[in-house]
Amino acid sequence: MNSAVPAPAASAVPALQLHALRKSFGRPAVDGLDLTVRRGELYALLGPNGAGKTTTLRMVTGLLAPDEGRVEVLGVDLARDPAAAKRRMAYLPDDALLYGKLKPTEYLEFVAGLWGLRPEEAEPRARRLLDWLDLSKHAHELTEGFSRGMKQKLALAGALIHEPELLILDEPLTGLDAAAARQVKDLLVSHVAGGGTVILTTHILEVAEKLAQRIGIIRQGRLIAEGTLDELRERTLGGSLEDVFLHLTEGA
Amino acid sequence: MSAAPGSSLWLLRHEIRLAWYGSAFSGGKRRPGTVSMVVWVLAMVIMHVLAFAVLAGLRKSGIGDALLGVAAGAVLAVCATFMLSTALKTCVTALFERGDLDLLLSSPLPSRSIFAVRLLGVAASTAALFLFLFAPFAHVAVLMGRPGMLAIYPAILALAALIACAAMLLTLALVRVLGARRTRTLAQVLAAVAGALLFLLSQAANFMPRGERGAMTEHTAQALLQHGLLAPGSPLWLPGRAALGDAVPLLGMIALALAAFVLTVGRTHRFFVRGLQQAAAIGRVAPAPAGGLRFRFRSNLFETMVIKEWRLIKRDPHLISQVLLQLIYLVPMLALVVRGNGAPGPLLGTGLTMLCSSLAGSLAWIVISAEDAPDLLRASPAAERAIRLAKLAAAVMPPLLLVALPLLWLLVRAPLPGLMAAFTVSASVLSAGLIVLWAGRPAQRSNFKGRGKENMLSTFLEMFSTLSWAALSWALISMTARATSWTLLAGAAALAVAFAVLLTAWLLRRNRG
Repeated sequence: MNSAVPAPAASAVPALQLHALRKSFGRPAVDGLDLTVRRGELYALLGPNGAGKTTTLRMVTGLLAPDEGRVEVLGVDLARDPAAAKRRMAYLPDDALLYGKLKPTEYLEFVAGLWGLRPEEAEPRARRLLDWLDLSKHAHELTEGFSRGMKQKLALAGALIHEPELLILDEPLTGLDAAAARQVKDLLVSHVAGGGTVILTTHILEVAEKLAQRIGIIRQGRLIAEGTLDELRERTLGGSLEDVFLHLTEGA
Repeated sequence: MSAAPGSSLWLLRHEIRLAWYGSAFSGGKRRPGTVSMVVWVLAMVIMHVLAFAVLAGLRKSGIGDALLGVAAGAVLAVCATFMLSTALKTCVTALFERGDLDLLLSSPLPSRSIFAVRLLGVAASTAALFLFLFAPFAHVAVLMGRPGMLAIYPAILALAALIACAAMLLTLALVRVLGARRTRTLAQVLAAVAGALLFLLSQAANFMPRGERGAMTEHTAQALLQHGLLAPGSPLWLPGRAALGDAVPLLGMIALALAAFVLTVGRTHRFFVRGLQQAAAIGRVAPAPAGGLRFRFRSNLFETMVIKEWRLIKRDPHLISQVLLQLIYLVPMLALVVRGNGAPGPLLGTGLTMLCSSLAGSLAWIVISAEDAPDLLRASPAAERAIRLAKLAAAVMPPLLLVALPLLWLLVRAPLPGLMAAFTVSASVLSAGLIVLWAGRPAQRSNFKGRGKENMLSTFLEMFSTLSWAALSWALISMTARATSWTLLAGAAALAVAFAVLLTAWLLRRNRG
């Protein structure tokens, strides 16, 4: 798992590797962050408001250029070959990336075009996703009339249509009702079970507690703790993840 | 002005304050800055000088009051069509776009006073431009010893109130008949047509055979002036006489406006509330089509991008009404192309160039600056160059397709001038797209109407580009008939400005937000 290893086997290449990542907006938002996420795990990135979670994710997805440091997605250097890195990853921010004046079918056609999918592989996937997310009956309506939950589900369909190996989600459960939230959680678990990788940020600590194999906690742009829930508990002598989180982010 | 919170007067003050903030020139500032104030004062001074020139000229020519009444009536008729256009647009905004009505209607304020104040707001914004244009005449007339012309104020206000009531009733009636969604588009289209109505009428003479035109017009006008509807004594000119200070028509007009206002508020405020409730349900009315899901995936990124942009353009009511307005102006020009015997005048090339350039600018703004999901594009593996190229093409193609046929016709009939027109039209359209691509800033799609205020620089560059290509078109087509050193010089200067504008936009491209 070390970057010095010369030619790692495909499975040994981590899904995401950040080397001394730095970004400053006047004051440092991400401050020399080193992070490794293995393939096939669900990694939860936690931190108080303004800790640099979203900034980190935006640098990982190529939306923001880092001041310093390197991002490697599935072994591909993002700065050197952005297209190859982005092709195998999907990003779902909490504010859905949608077009109000497009219908769900048209949105999926567009996203599939952006990722260069062939029509014959895109169409069955689009049908399956819209059916699975209960959006087929709204497929003829403009997205602008959708509820927040429906918008989030459509954005999720867009993120999944190219079957990404690495799924990056920023607060994926915001605004979803209980049924939709359950659907999304099931999806994340099955994505990981199928060998995919998920990185998510969330304020709902219970989600991280139940779903994540490993948890990273950042504060002021630095990783202050990382490990499984049990490892973190041991470190802080805390009970629930909430205790651990508050102990680490407030006490440090 | 102190008013009890929750009263109509208090609400009116709130409305006036919003209008004042809305009049700020630059997007960043909340109220009009010093520069805007200076511009306004200067404009007012210029208007007064103009008014003085016109009134002094009229006095010297010794035109009688009856004829002056006819002239004033004609001017008011012109104003009325523009007022109708403004009022319709404002009604659509009041009903569908300003998000504060939910707040107001959920408050304990009576819906009658909310509607009354909103209608008053429509009337005021309808009157504003015309007061600015014609109040200087009233002021100057007082100084010249005709205090009666102060009646311009009440006459314009009364006319605006009447038109505002008509526009509001029309909009509400449309909501009742067509539903909120179609009304929004149709009212905008009507506003565009009303604004161009006079232009179309003025062009009607062009459609008559050339030789007879002069004689015909004169004959008709004479006949109408002496006996019919247009005679100086006709009731048609009563509003004109009112504006000049004739007491009885003036009082009649004010009474009519007040009655219309009171009746509109009294009779329709309930329907206004219902119209709003319908407007709130906008976008959820489309029935499901028969059959299952239909997809059309494309394997080509360029095609995917262009189709997506065109879909968004097609579904943008503001843009559609603006395009329609430009098409209306295009019609008489196309008539000239088709009917024109001999070489097309430079005016035609200039007009086509200007229209296509400004249309391309609007489309480019929607396609490039008002991208809804820029992060989606940047997170995708698609190359940024390819995306930008496709967007530029999506903005540039519609205006070119629109004029392709008339240009072809022109090329066949008069190859050289046609070639010149084709060149300047294509160049101006491409320049408009490139300027937005380089100097444009990301913006909200819903801010289409206010886009000039948001990015003044890009607006100015677009304007200069449009004007210089149009000037070049004029010079080039003139030269095909007769080349003089003057036209050559003018053409060279226009070309230089056009390229300088493009260069400026290119130099500024890194500053994009």
